[in-house]
Amino acid sequence: MEKTLAILKKIIEQPYSRAASWKMETGGKVIGCAPMYFPDEMVHAAGALPVALFGSNDAITLADMHLMTNACDQVRSTFDMLLKGKYDFLDGVAAICVCDQVRFFMEVWQLDHPFPFFHQMWRPYRMDSSTRPFLVSELKRLKSNLEIFTGIKITPEALCESIRIYNESRSLMRRLNELRRMRPGIMTAADMSKIIAASMLIPIEDHNKLMKELLFKVEKETSKGDERIKIVVAGHPCAIPNGLLLDLVEDLGLVIVDDDFFSGGRRFATDVVLNGDPFESLANYYMEAIPCTTSHFPGNWISEGKSYSPYGDYVIEMMKRGRADAVVLLRLMSCDPFDLEFVFLKKKLAERNIPYLTLFIDHSLGPLEPIRTRVQAFIETLKASR
Amino acid sequence: MIVAGVDVGSQTTKAVILGYGQGFGGFYSEAMKPTGIDVPEVSKMVIGEALEKVQLSFANVDKIVSTGYGRISIPFSTRTITEITCNAAGVHQLYPDVTLAIDVGGQDSKIIKMNSEGKVLQFAMNDKCAAGTGKFLEIAAQALEIPLDDLGKISLRSRRRITMSSICTVFAQTEIVSLIARRTDKEDIAAALHEAVANRIFGLINSVNPEAKARVVMTGGVARNIAVVKLLERMLGREILVPDNPQIVTALGAALMAENLD
Repeated sequence: MEKTLAILKKIIEQPYSRAASWKMETGGKVIGCAPMYFPDEMVHAAGALPVALFGSNDAITLADMHLMTNACDQVRSTFDMLLKGKYDFLDGVAAICVCDQVRFFMEVWQLDHPFPFFHQMWRPYRMDSSTRPFLVSELKRLKSNLEIFTGIKITPEALCESIRIYNESRSLMRRLNELRRMRPGIMTAADMSKIIAASMLIPIEDHNKLMKELLFKVEKETSKGDERIKIVVAGHPCAIPNGLLLDLVEDLGLVIVDDDFFSGGRRFATDVVLNGDPFESLANYYMEAIPCTTSHFPGNWISEGKSYSPYGDYVIEMMKRGRADAVVLLRLMSCDPFDLEFVFLKKKLAERNIPYLTLFIDHSLGPLEPIRTRVQAFIETLKASR
Repeated sequence: MIVAGVDVGSQTTKAVILGYGQGFGGFYSEAMKPTGIDVPEVSKMVIGEALEKVQLSFANVDKIVSTGYGRISIPFSTRTITEITCNAAGVHQLYPDVTLAIDVGGQDSKIIKMNSEGKVLQFAMNDKCAAGTGKFLEIAAQALEIPLDDLGKISLRSRRRITMSSICTVFAQTEIVSLIARRTDKEDIAAALHEAVANRIFGLINSVNPEAKARVVMTGGVARNIAVVKLLERMLGREILVPDNPQIVTALGAALMAENLD
C-alpha cells in the first residue's frame, strides 16, 4: 500500500508535471478546469486531458492587483499561479460558473491572458424541469466548442465510454471512502484528499489503475480499533484542504470518517447513470446532484416539505452513515456559497443538537496554535457530554 | 494530594496550587508573572512561587495541568487541557450559578456558554485578530501615554463622545496619534477605544446566542478594566460578576481539573 500511496501523494507535490509530460508525449490538448462540477468526461471524450485548477499554498504576490478585493483564496491563488507562468502548459481553460467568483475571474483571465480555448459553461441556478433544456443545450454547446478546438468529433459512443471510465473512477474512490468509513483510521484524511485530488490531475485511466492497486491492498487491512471520536468534515470547497490542518484535527483525537470536500466526497458521491443519450444522462447527473448551495433545487424544498437546508440534511445523512458524533466545518474566507449555506446549516445542526466546530481557514493557514486550541476544546466538550 | 494548575497566557503566566487531604486540611495559593519567551522556565518559576507561599516545593506536587496558549510547551505537566474547559471549571467553582463566561486576555477573547453543571455547551473565540483583546488596550495605553491600569478609570471621565473609525489594533494606534494631534481629550479617546473593544466582545457574545437570563462572569486581564466591564453590563443589560483576581480563574480551573484526573 505504501508504494502506491506514495505515488498518488507525490502527484500533489508537483500537480501539473504529469499533465505537461502527457502533452509532450501525446501531442494532446490540456484543458484547465476551474472547480467545481466541470464535466471532465466531455473533455476526455474530445481526446484532451482535463486538469483541475487548484491553486497552491505558495504566497500570493501578483494576483491581487488584478482581482476584486473580495476574491476568494482559491481564485487569488489560481490567478497568481497563472501570472507566475505555472499554467503555461495549458491549451485552454473552462469552467462551470458555479459562483460569481469563478465567473468573474475566468473573464478577467480571458481578457488579460487569452488562451486558445476558453469556455464558460452556464448551469442554471434553479434546477428543475423548466431549466433542464437550457442545461442540455449548454452541455451541447460545450461539446461543439471542444470539437472545433480539438478537431475530434465527440460521438455519443465516445462520450458514453468516457462517462463509463469516470464512473469507474468514482466507484473506486467511493469504495476507498467506504473502507475508511467502516474501518476508521485506515487512511488519514490528508492522504484521502490528496488521492482524490490526484484524480483531477492525471489521465483518469492512470488514476484508476493506481486506485485498483491501492484498493487491492487497503481491502486487506484490518481496522486498528480506533478510539478517536468519529466526525465528518464539510466545507472548504474548491481547494485541497491543507494536510497539516487535517493531520492536526486527527492527531488531537478526532477521526474523519467521511467528508464533503471538492477533493473528496463531492467528487465521487454519485455516478452519471447512463440511460441512452449521454447528454440527457449528464443532465440528470446535474439535476440530481448533491444539494450544494451553488444551485437551488426547488424540488428539495417541495418534496421534503419543510426542509430549509437540504445540504444540512445531506451532511446529517453522511454523519449517520459514518456513525459520526460531530461535524467540523472548514470555512474559507470570501466563499459566498458556503457562507450563505452556513446560515441554514448551523440552524439545522443546532436543531438536531449536533455538535459542530467551525474553523476559518485562509490561504496562508497561519499559525496552527489557535486552531489547535479550538479543536482540543471541542474534543473536551464532546468528551464531557458523553 | 497537592495539585497545580498553570495557565500560560500570551502576556501573563498564572499558577494555582490546591492542597487537600490528610495532614493538609486544604489550602490555596496563587502566583503570576509576565510570560516572556521561556515558557517552561517561567511556568516552573510561577508554580515554584505559589508553592513557596505555602512552604512546599515542586517535589510535593502530585499532578499538574497546563493550559493557555503555551500549554503544550511545558514538559512537566501531567496533562494539557484547553483554557476553554479550564476557565469553565474555574468559573463554575467560584460561581456555580453562572452559565456565561467572558474571558478576555492578552490576545484572545473567549465566550463560553455552560450548562448548570459547568459543562461547556458552546464557545466562541476571536478569529485571527487582536482587536477587542488586552493587546488592543495595551497598545492604546502606550499611544496615549497612560498606564494600562488607569486607562479604564480615565475613560470614565469622558465628556464628549467620539467614535473610532478603526478597530484594527495597528490602525487604531494611527488614529489615536491623529486625534491627539487634533487636541482631542485623552479621556474621550480612551472612552472611544473602550467602546470599540466592548462592541467587539459584545458581538462575540451574541454569536453564541446567550440565554436572556444567564448570569455572567468576566475573567482575564481585561476584566480588571472597569470601563470595559461597565460598557458590557450596559450592552447586556445585566450585572457582570468579576472575581477578585480575574486573571487567575483559568489556572484555578486547571488545578481543579488536575485534582479530578483519572
